Amino acid sequence: MSENISIRVSLKKYSLDSVRYAAHSLGGLVYAFIKPLPGGKVLVELSPKPGTTAAKAAGCARLFRGELEDEKLRERVSSGNRELREFLLLKAMNYQPKPPEKDDSGLTPQQEKELNDLIAQIEGEIKAEAAKGASADPLGITSTWEDKYDPKNGRKKIR
Amino acid sequence: MTPKTAAKRSAKPRSAGLPYFTFRRMADGSVLLSNDAGRTAAVSGKDFARFSAGRLGSGEPLYAELAAKGFVREMTDFEGYAAACSKKNAFLGAGPGLHILVMTLRCNHKCLYCQSGALGAGGRGTDMSRAVARKSVDFALKSTNPGITIEFQGGEPLLNWDTLKDSVLYARGRGRELGREVRLALVSNFSLMTEEKARFLVENEVSVCTSLDGPADLHNKNRTFSGGNSHAHTARWLKYFIGRAAKQVPEYRTFTPSALLTVSRYSLGREKDIVDEYLRQGLADIFVRPLAPIGYAKKLWPRIGYSSEEFARFYRNSLDYIIKLNAAGKKIRERHAVIMLEKIVNGGDPGYLDMRCPCGAAIGQVAYNYNGDLYACDEGRMVGWEGDDLFRIGNVLRDSYRKVMLAPASRACAAASSLESQPQCSRCVYKPWCGVCPVYNYETQGSLWGDMPSSGRCALSLGMFDALFGLLKKPASAKILKEWVQK
Ligand code: SF4
Ligand code: SF4
Repeated sequence: MSENISIRVSLKKYSLDSVRYAAHSLGGLVYAFIKPLPGGKVLVELSPKPGTTAAKAAGCARLFRGELEDEKLRERVSSGNRELREFLLLKAMNYQPKPPEKDDSGLTPQQEKELNDLIAQIEGEIKAEAAKGASADPLGITSTWEDKYDPKNGRKKIR
Repeated sequence: MTPKTAAKRSAKPRSAGLPYFTFRRMADGSVLLSNDAGRTAAVSGKDFARFSAGRLGSGEPLYAELAAKGFVREMTDFEGYAAACSKKNAFLGAGPGLHILVMTLRCNHKCLYCQSGALGAGGRGTDMSRAVARKSVDFALKSTNPGITIEFQGGEPLLNWDTLKDSVLYARGRGRELGREVRLALVSNFSLMTEEKARFLVENEVSVCTSLDGPADLHNKNRTFSGGNSHAHTARWLKYFIGRAAKQVPEYRTFTPSALLTVSRYSLGREKDIVDEYLRQGLADIFVRPLAPIGYAKKLWPRIGYSSEEFARFYRNSLDYIIKLNAAGKKIRERHAVIMLEKIVNGGDPGYLDMRCPCGAAIGQVAYNYNGDLYACDEGRMVGWEGDDLFRIGNVLRDSYRKVMLAPASRACAAASSLESQPQCSRCVYKPWCGVCPVYNYETQGSLWGDMPSSGRCALSLGMFDALFGLLKKPASAKILKEWVQK
């Protein structure tokens, strides 16, 4: 039976979320316990699961450290792009091909301002939509063929 | 400015330039990147460190490549990015396209791995009636999906031929009346096929799919048939349907038959034999499918199952051999790879319901049990047959389409298979093309959500994607793989 591995992590260097995600990613090999320590630190105890070989268990501390570093990057990338990502995904959901416009590779300050305004507007719309409750069905998943396409319902037939 | 301050400044990561992406460190030291638009880039470990620290110079060729693929925030082509996301998620509001009608639970085979909970051929009370079948067809036609497929399954559906025949004619008639495209498909072991039935199926444009597990010895070991040689029936009717497809007539379209391979413990190490058998039978595609410990197969797992590493090896060996055959001029494709390449290379949605987000349960497919009970998918129905109706979403005789789509299981499956809410998947590089299976999670880990780091299915997916991306890095194999999905 392999021994438990204890790793101290400073929360000044890594967020608790990063620690959690890094520990979770090793869930195929170990159980992870995260305990608070004084001085803004946590103790991560990795306890090998039955079936984890001693060699694999021995590599877990290194794996955890590597994951922790990667998580830090993931967190930075994710939090730095949340609004932009929501905007892009919403744009994708409502996507209608447009005729090509003049080259816009790169954002001018004016474009950036417009983008931020647009994001703010969309965020407002998302909140308003969410406030209407879960019954809203923007994708029409609960609609039948007749609801969507039957001319008697005033909608166009598909073909 | 002192040299010290200057050094500090230049070392500071300029994260502003990083857009959203996910990444995976590969076994060879390279790093694979992907984004929501499904675009990918493979970079060396060193370049990744420079890229993530914002130290990639804008004059470098790698910068241009990454910018073109949406990995440089300031250079993002919003229109193109949104178009790519939209294309790959086009299925979202389409409505269920696959409707699986279980004609009977009876079967004349006793396959080792059978997940369908089939009864013996003489079993009573589990045939679908014509009334239930017609109601099921009507229900399927309520779907907003413009091209629905009605698939007749079992047990062995040919054991309930009268209802099957009536359903085919009824579906064709209703499709014509409504101006709807209706694809019909039959999954059969062919042991009860006759000339008359085969002709009827061909003339009514019903495509056929069967199981082929390899050469006769392996196939017959997996697929026990007390009535004789299962492999011989499969081979005979494959030949018939391939022959019919080769001689198209103007009155109707004739489809090439397809076959499914289920990999059991006995298949391991026999990759070449199996692929050669597919070629011998004249099939152009082989679908290397892992066994899942769901339903009846769960009980037999210690005897017929294997680890995800064993399957990954089997898959890699099969794919390597198939590519070698292709390089030698033989035409055969692996279907799993084709499905994934359609997504990775063409950015499209091939309609594969088990590998998408959310998965196809209810919003992509509905399974109609012989008695009219509706399940979020066929695998969910199999769990039901084992006595747990968690995945039941209604009954075709009693419930409205809206009620079925809003059933707790329909919603729970959609939520549980949303990769953004899975801690591991949400940060996985394979997220744009992968999918999780709530039924598998429930059966193996006791919760719809599951736990991906310890999930055998996730390990299988990782192994298959790693194999595919490994091959895509090599120019010779990449050329062959891309040809498989060339439009
Ligand atoms: S199931 Fe596994 S391979 Fe697929 S996205 Fe999730 S973590 Fe990645
Ligand atoms: S629950 Fe699993 S088997 Fe059912 S549709 Fe989803 S992925 Fe497929």
